[in-house]
Amino acid sequence: MDPTQATREVFWNIQYTWLVYVLMVPTLAVFGWGFWLKIRRWRAGQPAVRFDRLGERFQLFLRNAVGQGRTIKSRYAGLFHSLVYTGFIVLFLATTVVAIHHDTPLHIMKGHFYLIFQSLIVDIFGLFVLVGAALAAVRRWVSKPAKLVYTDEASWILVSIFVMALTGFIVEGWRIAVTDDVWAAWSPVGNLFARASDPLMSDAAMQTGHVVIWWFHLLVAFGFIAWVPFSKMSHVFTAPLNIFTANLDGYGGSLKAIDFETAERFGINHLGDFTWKDLLDFDACTECGRCTDVCPANTVGKSLSPRDIILDLQALMHERGDSVLANGNGNGSGNGDAALLPIIDQKTAVSPEALFSCTTCAACMEACPVHIEQLPKIVDARRYLVMEEAEFPEGMMDMMNSLESRQHPFAGTQFSRVDWTEGLDIDVMADMDDPAEAEVLMWVGCGGALVERNRNTVRATAKLLKKAGVKFAILGREESCSGDPARRVGNEFLFEMLAKGNVETLDRYGVRKVVTSCPHCFNSFRNEYPQFGGSYEVYHHTQFLDQLVGSGKLPANGPGAQAGNGETITFHDPCYLGRHNGEYDAPRNLLAQVGGARQVEMHRSRNTSFCCGGGGGMAFVDEPPDQRVNQERAQEAVDTGADVVAVGCPFCATMLDDGVNARRGERDVKVKDVAELLWDAVGETEETGEAAS
Amino acid sequence: MRVLVCLKQILDPDVPARDFEIDPAAKAAKRGGANLVTNIFCENAIETALQFREAAGDVKVTALCYGESSAEDCLRKAMAMTVDEACLVEREGNTNPDAAAVGQVLAAAISRLEQDGGPFDAVLVGRESGDWGTGQTGGVLAEELGRPALGFVESLSPGNGGITLRRQTDVGIEVAEAEPPFVVTITNNEDNVPRIPKTRDVMMSYRKPLQKVSLADLGLDGDEIRNGFSSFEVEEIFVPTDEVDCELAEGDTLDERVDQLARKIHEVVASIG
Ligand code: SF4
Ligand code: SF4
Repeated sequence: MDPTQATREVFWNIQYTWLVYVLMVPTLAVFGWGFWLKIRRWRAGQPAVRFDRLGERFQLFLRNAVGQGRTIKSRYAGLFHSLVYTGFIVLFLATTVVAIHHDTPLHIMKGHFYLIFQSLIVDIFGLFVLVGAALAAVRRWVSKPAKLVYTDEASWILVSIFVMALTGFIVEGWRIAVTDDVWAAWSPVGNLFARASDPLMSDAAMQTGHVVIWWFHLLVAFGFIAWVPFSKMSHVFTAPLNIFTANLDGYGGSLKAIDFETAERFGINHLGDFTWKDLLDFDACTECGRCTDVCPANTVGKSLSPRDIILDLQALMHERGDSVLANGNGNGSGNGDAALLPIIDQKTAVSPEALFSCTTCAACMEACPVHIEQLPKIVDARRYLVMEEAEFPEGMMDMMNSLESRQHPFAGTQFSRVDWTEGLDIDVMADMDDPAEAEVLMWVGCGGALVERNRNTVRATAKLLKKAGVKFAILGREESCSGDPARRVGNEFLFEMLAKGNVETLDRYGVRKVVTSCPHCFNSFRNEYPQFGGSYEVYHHTQFLDQLVGSGKLPANGPGAQAGNGETITFHDPCYLGRHNGEYDAPRNLLAQVGGARQVEMHRSRNTSFCCGGGGGMAFVDEPPDQRVNQERAQEAVDTGADVVAVGCPFCATMLDDGVNARRGERDVKVKDVAELLWDAVGETEETGEAAS
Repeated sequence: MRVLVCLKQILDPDVPARDFEIDPAAKAAKRGGANLVTNIFCENAIETALQFREAAGDVKVTALCYGESSAEDCLRKAMAMTVDEACLVEREGNTNPDAAAVGQVLAAAISRLEQDGGPFDAVLVGRESGDWGTGQTGGVLAEELGRPALGFVESLSPGNGGITLRRQTDVGIEVAEAEPPFVVTITNNEDNVPRIPKTRDVMMSYRKPLQKVSLADLGLDGDEIRNGFSSFEVEEIFVPTDEVDCELAEGDTLDERVDQLARKIHEVVASIG
């Protein structure tokens, strides 16, 4: 037994091998045709730039496509997917080795390589596929989580994969048994089948069975390959492509401006108005359901399901979209009515009701293993409803009315923009001799200035800035809404007006640095104002305060060093600070300064944080009492046993205040902004704080 | 058919109380930080007119405003709500003319508009304004035009030959059949909440005709109109102050405190007599 001579006969026991090549032709033809159809559909979409920044794209591709970075975040699904995924890759390589060995003069399938790779490793990875498919089957047919889509197609895919792996081992086993393969030990799983069959079957029976199963295995495999482009298995190709062409700018910058002068329609209600990347998104969905599973609106029982939005649009594109998309560039110049195939439909997941319950929290996008962008599509459809149809919930209407006539969304507020400054002696840009003296603009935000419970937050922020000796000023009455609520509900026109107005005001005073305690304003300034010519250095107040503490300008060990009082604090990550802008540490660093307090984390925190329910204009909508996102989140906060729920956003503060009051029972649980807690820890009275300025 | 809606621009009545200030010399509210908005009943009137147009078909809706140039915003918004055309009579002199003056100006403007484009079948005026709330303009205008008037109307619909009006009364809804031309004042109900304009219509509103005329154009440059006080004069205007005097009932036990409280109430009642 010379291992350097080890090999096996390709096509052992098989006649008419030319049939394999004949069958391969239609298989590959159907496969190619299927993908050609897809590519043709995508190419009919509107333009989008997604082949720039190739370096970053390759990195993302390596991390999340090749490396399955997001897929493995779900433990069970991540495990079985990795098994099947790696198994398929190895089996594909093995098949390639066989082809090279048999069809070219390079006879590589021999010796140690044959034993170690082609026999042992391939057997192990084949087993991976078998086990992976079995684990997936247990989930699909035994544990049955609600997030999955239960289609026959999905079942057949699982069955096919299992059958392919199993029949592969059977033919291997019978070959080993009949030929008394001396290298059998190197194929442990095949060998197991050989050993199991030996006492039960005669050699002749195994030899006949081998022929039958061999061809069956081949037919299943070829059928599967031809079917790939027409089933969700196409994700094997669409998902990596989708990851490669993902949005690289973070969720906070994913909404695009509209050119109102030239746009034929505002927002999207027509399949043909999507970009090719949107259409690719629809085809890349793996039906994993993770997006819907984490969606706050869905969690509390609303009809919104980001997964079904994507899948319903995919179905629309597949069933009726070809004529639309093939006929033009999607701008309505195609074949009349068909080019205007509407996507918003009361009877599908893309219903106005579902669209208007999205909090724009981006949890869906963060959870999606293949980087599908659900949120911009939801906002695009809202844009259509709001701007073309003037259709939206009543609360949003009042909010927009108020934005239009008062430049703030809080109709009926009893406060002016400067009431909160009472007794603090804060500079207002318009009243300063030289506004350039202010190094920092403190952007207060409507939620900070005009909502009673948040005025303490902005006061605390201002006092901390003064204590640290920061030269700052506010705009006072010249401040208007950043436009975030308008943009999220889909009123891009109103947003643009507000944004342009603010950019003009800021530029008039030569503002360069902006600090704000509202993550929504923060996001707009940071990621959206550049679209309107406003580029500033923008900080959330927790970031700026964290820097001040870091550089020693804000000593937290003042008289209130033990302000924490042995209490437990849990921090609720605001969507627009965390997921949209990637800042998770600054607020936690500051809370660590609150001496005597202990931090605990909620189950859903940092990038998997669960929305307070207030984003996307939802803070202005009355939710049904049994479908309140804020109460779901408040319950989670209360369940940590924390005494204080720390927040970093005026909307979170009001939403969680309400929620905590409904869910805290007899316990005393407070909701406080990080700045308030930090001010307590600095521990000076207002007077000394002011004296420090 | 032609329908005319009269609009008034006012200081935002939702302005926070502490932002509301008065200029005693001018005997008027100060603009301060407050915004200017269309009076809500006037917006209800626009909505009512537009719904009538939708029900009746061939109707042209015109908006008319007597105000400063800033009132152009109200007319633009009306056109964004899809009113067909608009006319602004530029106000001069007194910023707060009374209903008699306003009625004369509006009547003159209406005659001018009718000369150019034919008679208005219905003239709609908001029930009252959110600033002064006198509720007289509709009546005065009807008198000036010499047309019949009905108040507190909430909807117009095409009737048998005429126009069917629904009006709110103390005892319920009254349905009236009216022969044009007439004047109605419009009140609000849940069906005439002003619509939010579609963005496309907002953009289009800048392309619709907005006519501007001066008092002189209308032949109304007499001092009486300009001073705006043809029927009465404002002597003084002030923000009423409420004083709250709070006293806590004292006592160690609840019984004592209740006892104290009862005595106090007796005293107060006795002092009022
Ligand atoms: S953004 Fe948030 S609320 Fe909207 S669909 Fe995604 S997960 Fe649901
Ligand atoms: S959109 Fe993404 S997360 Fe949602 S089901 Fe499809 S692949 Fe899964």
